[in-house]
Amino acid sequence: MTEVTAPATGDGKQPATAAPLLELREIAVYYGRVRALNGVSLSVNEGEIVALIGSNGAGKTTTLRTISGLIRPAKGDVRFRGEPIHHLGAERIARMGVAHAPEGRRLFGRMTVRENLEMGAYARHDRGGVRESFDRVYTLFPRLRERHAQLAGSLSGGEQQMVAIGRALMSNPTLLMLDEPSLGLAPILVDAIFEVIREINARGGTILLIEQNAGLALRTASRGYVLETGNLPIAGSSDELLNSPDVQRAYLGM
Amino acid sequence: MLSFLRIPSGPAQRGQSAAVFWIVAVTASGMLLMGWLLPWFVEPTSSGIGFSPQDAVLSAPMGPGAFLLYVLAVTMLLLVLSPLAEIAAGITKRPLPLIADRVRLVVAVVGFVLTLVVWFLIRVLNEEPLFGPIDSHTVTDSAVWLTLYGYAIAALVYGARRWVLARGNVAFGAAAIPFGVLLPFMFHQAPDFLLWAASSLAIYMLLALGLNVVVGFAGLLDLGYAAFFAIGAYACASFASPTHHIHLSLWLLIFIGAGVASVFGAILGAPTLRLRGDYLAIVTLGFGEIIPDLATNNVFGLTGGPNGLSSIDQPRYGPVNFGTNPQWFYWSVLAISVIVVIFLRNIERSRVGRAWVALREDEIAAAATGINTTTTKLLAFAMGASVAGVAGAFYGSLVTIVSPDDFSFAVSVAVISMIVLGGIGNIVGVILGSSVLTLSIFWILPHMNEWSMTVSAPGKPLEFLPGLATVNFTQYTYMVYGIALILMMLFRPGGLLPSRARRVELEAGIESESLAAVQGRA
Amino acid sequence: MAILELAGVSKRFGGLLAVSNVSFSIDQGEIISMIGPNGAGKTTAFNCVTGLYPVSAGDVRLDGLSINGLPPHRVTKLGIARTFQNIRLFSYMTAVDNVMVGAHWWMKERVWDGALKTPRARREEREVQAWALDLLAQLELANYAGSYARELPYGLQRRLEIARALATQPRLLLLDEPAAGLNAREKNDLMALIARLRSEGLTIFLIEHDMRVVMEISDRIVVLDYGEKIAEGVPTEVRTNRRVIEAYLGSGASQEMHTT
Repeated sequence: MTEVTAPATGDGKQPATAAPLLELREIAVYYGRVRALNGVSLSVNEGEIVALIGSNGAGKTTTLRTISGLIRPAKGDVRFRGEPIHHLGAERIARMGVAHAPEGRRLFGRMTVRENLEMGAYARHDRGGVRESFDRVYTLFPRLRERHAQLAGSLSGGEQQMVAIGRALMSNPTLLMLDEPSLGLAPILVDAIFEVIREINARGGTILLIEQNAGLALRTASRGYVLETGNLPIAGSSDELLNSPDVQRAYLGM
Repeated sequence: MLSFLRIPSGPAQRGQSAAVFWIVAVTASGMLLMGWLLPWFVEPTSSGIGFSPQDAVLSAPMGPGAFLLYVLAVTMLLLVLSPLAEIAAGITKRPLPLIADRVRLVVAVVGFVLTLVVWFLIRVLNEEPLFGPIDSHTVTDSAVWLTLYGYAIAALVYGARRWVLARGNVAFGAAAIPFGVLLPFMFHQAPDFLLWAASSLAIYMLLALGLNVVVGFAGLLDLGYAAFFAIGAYACASFASPTHHIHLSLWLLIFIGAGVASVFGAILGAPTLRLRGDYLAIVTLGFGEIIPDLATNNVFGLTGGPNGLSSIDQPRYGPVNFGTNPQWFYWSVLAISVIVVIFLRNIERSRVGRAWVALREDEIAAAATGINTTTTKLLAFAMGASVAGVAGAFYGSLVTIVSPDDFSFAVSVAVISMIVLGGIGNIVGVILGSSVLTLSIFWILPHMNEWSMTVSAPGKPLEFLPGLATVNFTQYTYMVYGIALILMMLFRPGGLLPSRARRVELEAGIESESLAAVQGRA
Repeated sequence: MAILELAGVSKRFGGLLAVSNVSFSIDQGEIISMIGPNGAGKTTAFNCVTGLYPVSAGDVRLDGLSINGLPPHRVTKLGIARTFQNIRLFSYMTAVDNVMVGAHWWMKERVWDGALKTPRARREEREVQAWALDLLAQLELANYAGSYARELPYGLQRRLEIARALATQPRLLLLDEPAAGLNAREKNDLMALIARLRSEGLTIFLIEHDMRVVMEISDRIVVLDYGEKIAEGVPTEVRTNRRVIEAYLGSGASQEMHTT
C-alpha cells in the first residue's frame, strides 16, 4: 500500500507541502523474538485527527508506545517535525510535545484529580501557562472541576477517562495520542468524549487516535490507517475507508 | 493442541536450563581449582596423608611423578578456563563446534583417571621414589575428592550438553545429589565441624524449601518464619531431653515438630487472611518477634528462659549413635530433604499448587473461580511451617541445646535471602540459593580466616597487609547476605534460577513500567 | 421459574448508596442485560450477587434460597460464575491452567493425593486437563492452551475469562462488559457464543455498554442510574424510554454506526 497524501482538512490548515508533524517510516518492533510491528509507515499532519484502527493484537498500542519512546524500534525511524526521535527517551519525547493517554487510563489512583492533572504538567515551568491549561481542561471537562479534590481511583470509568485525557492535555502537547478513549464508557459519555476530541482539534490540536469503535473513529477523523497484524497499514481518507467493503466487513461489523 | 504439547521444551524452559548448564560448568571449574589450590592454603595442622603437588614437582621436576602432575595440571587448566570458551561463543553468537565438547569430555575423563592413579600411587603404594618425599601435612584427600567431582561433572556438562540443556532440573539433580551423599567421605578425616556445617546446610535448605511454599508458591511474604523453626526446635527439646523426662526418637520428633509448627502456622495465618503485601509482612514480622520473646521469658515454664533447653538427646538409630557418627545425622537430614523436595514438587504441580498460584496472581478472581481463599492460604502457612518444624527438630538434635537467640529475626532474613538468591518459587533455585549462601557462611568465610593468616604471615605474598590476619571474616555473615541480595536485584532480579512465571514477568515488566516517563518526568 | 432474584438489594459504602433498593429477577434460560451510566452501581450489583460484597439490605436469592453473606467460592459452587470488567485472568499461568483453576472446586484430589501423586490423582489431573483442553477448543482457544494468559491478544483474553468461568460448571453466567475493547468482528463472535451458551441451557446476565450487542441479544434489559433501577423491559421499550435516553443513551451519535 502506498502512502495516501492527506486531503486538505476542513480545519483551515494546509498541510500540502510542509513536512508532516509526525512520520513513521518502516518501523519494526520486536518483543523478544516475536515481531510486533513489521514495516509500519504512517504520517500525521499538523491540525489533523488521524484514526488508527485494526484488530486486537494488530500492533496499534505498540505503535503509540513506539512513538512516545516507551519501546525502541528495531528498524525504521520516527520523525517529529522532521527530526528523528526514535532514539530519544520517553521523557524527552514528552517534553517535545507528544502526549499519550494510555489504554486503560493508568491514572495515579491514590492522587486527587487535580494532582493527576498536575503530573501531566510536571515538565513545565511556566506557571501562567499551566494555569491556562488547567482552565482549558476544566472548561472541556466541567465534571473534573467539580471533582478536583476526589481521589482518581474512586471516580467512575468515564470520569477517569476524562482525567486521562486532561492529564495528557496538561503538557500542552503539539500531538495528542489517545488509546481507546471510549473503552468501557456509556454511550452518552462516548459522545461527550468524542465531542471534546473534536473541540480540541477545532482549537488547532493534532490528534492520533486508536479506537475499536471504527465507525465513530473514522467519522471523527479526516484520515485513517487500518493496521493488520503489524504490517504496512492500509491508508485512506475516512470516507474511502468507511466505504471500503473490506473495512466494513472486518471492522464495522456489517 | 500442538502448542500445548510444546510446553516442557518451549522457549520459556530453555532459559533455565542454560542457567543450569552454566552453573554446573562453572562449579566444575571451581572444584578443580579449589582441589589444586587447597594444599597451598590449608595449614599443616589439618590431618590427612597425600601428595602436595608443589613439593613433588620441586623435589623431582623431571621425574615420572612430576610428569603425571604436569599432565594433570594441563587437564585442570583446560577445564577451568573452558567457561571462557562458552563466554566467547555467547558473545560471537557462534556455537562451539562439536569437537570442542568432545575434547573437553576426553580431557575430563583423562583427568579423572589420572587423579585416581596418582592418588593410588601416593596414598596406597606410598611411592616416594616417584614423587619425592611425601609428608603428611596436607588435606589432600578433600582436595582429591573435589578434583574428582570437578572432573566428573565437567564430563557431564560437556559430554551431555544437549541433555543438560533439555532436562535442566534432572541434570542439576544428577550433579548435586551424589555430591550431597558423598560429602561425608570427602571430609572423612576432617574435623566433625565440616559435617556439622553440612548438616546445617541441609537444615537451612529445608527452611528455605518451606518458606518457598509460603512466599514463592502462595505469594504471601512471611518475615517471621524463624518462629516456626523455633517451635520445631523447642518441641524437639521438650520431647527428647531430661527437661520433662521424655525421650522420644528423632523420627517421632520430626512429625511432632511438623505437627506443632503447622498448628502455629495456621494460628498465625488466621489473623492475616485479609492482609496482603506490606501489611502481611509486618504482621508476620511481629509474630517472628513474639515467639523468641515468649521463649526468653519462659512462659508457662516450658522453654527454660534465656538459657533455653539443653542436653537434648543425641539421636540414634539402632546401634548407631548419630552424635558420634555425624555422617549418619547428615544423611538422615539429607534423606528427609529429598523426600520434602519430592512432596513439594508434586504439590506444586497439583490442584492445590495451582490454587496457590491463582491466589498469588489475583485473589479476587481466585475466590470468584471457586477457590476457598481462607483454607488455601492457611494450608500454605501450615505446610510451610511444618517443613520449618521438621528443620527445627533436626536442629535441636544437632546442637543439643536450643535457646531463643538461635531464632532471631536474623534467621528469617537469612532464609529469605536464600530463596531470593536462588529464585523465588523455583524449588531447584531455592536448593541452589540455600547451598550457595550456607557454603559461603560456613565454609568460605572460616577458610578465609585461615587463608588470610597464611598469606599475610611474614615471608608470604601479602606480608605488607598485616591487618588482614586480624580480620575475622566469620563476623561478616550478614554482609554476605546483603551483598548477595544487592547483586541479585541488580543483575538477576529473578534469582539464580528464576521460576518460569517470574521470568516472563521480568521480561514483561521492562516494557510495561514507566508511565511517569510518558508524563515527562524522570 | 426465577433462577436469580434480587429483592430490595441495597449496598452502602460509607455515606454513598451505590445500589439502592434494586429488585428484579432472571428466569432460567434468559439473557438479561444491565445497562446504565458509568458509576451507576452495575458492577457493585454484580459483586453483591457473587458474594464479593455483603449486601447492606435486601436479599439475593438463587433458586429461591438466600445466598446473602456466602463467600464467593460458595456462590461459585452453587452455580454462579462471572467475568470481570477489567479482565482478571491469572496472567502468569497458561491458558489451560487458568481453565483448570476453574475446575478446582469440583476436582476430588486432596492435598495428600497431590503430594504423593497417587494414581488416582494422576488420573484425575490427566482427565481434567483433557477436559480443559476440550473446553478451550470449543471456544477456539486451543492454539493458545500453552501460552501465558497475558500473552493472548486482548479479545482472546476476554474469551479465556469466559472459558475459565465455564469451567466452574455454572448455571448462571455473569459477564461484566464482555464486549469492551472488542472490534466489530469479535463482537459478532461474542454474540454468537452467548447465544450458543444459552442454547446449552445457561442463563446469562451481562453488563454492557455496546448497544448493538445489548439490543440484539437481550431478552430483557434492566437500567440502573445512581444505584436505582430506572427502567426494565424488552429492548424496544428500553430504547425509547425517555429517562434512559436522558441518563444513558444520549442523542445517539455514537450509536449510529452500531445500528446500521
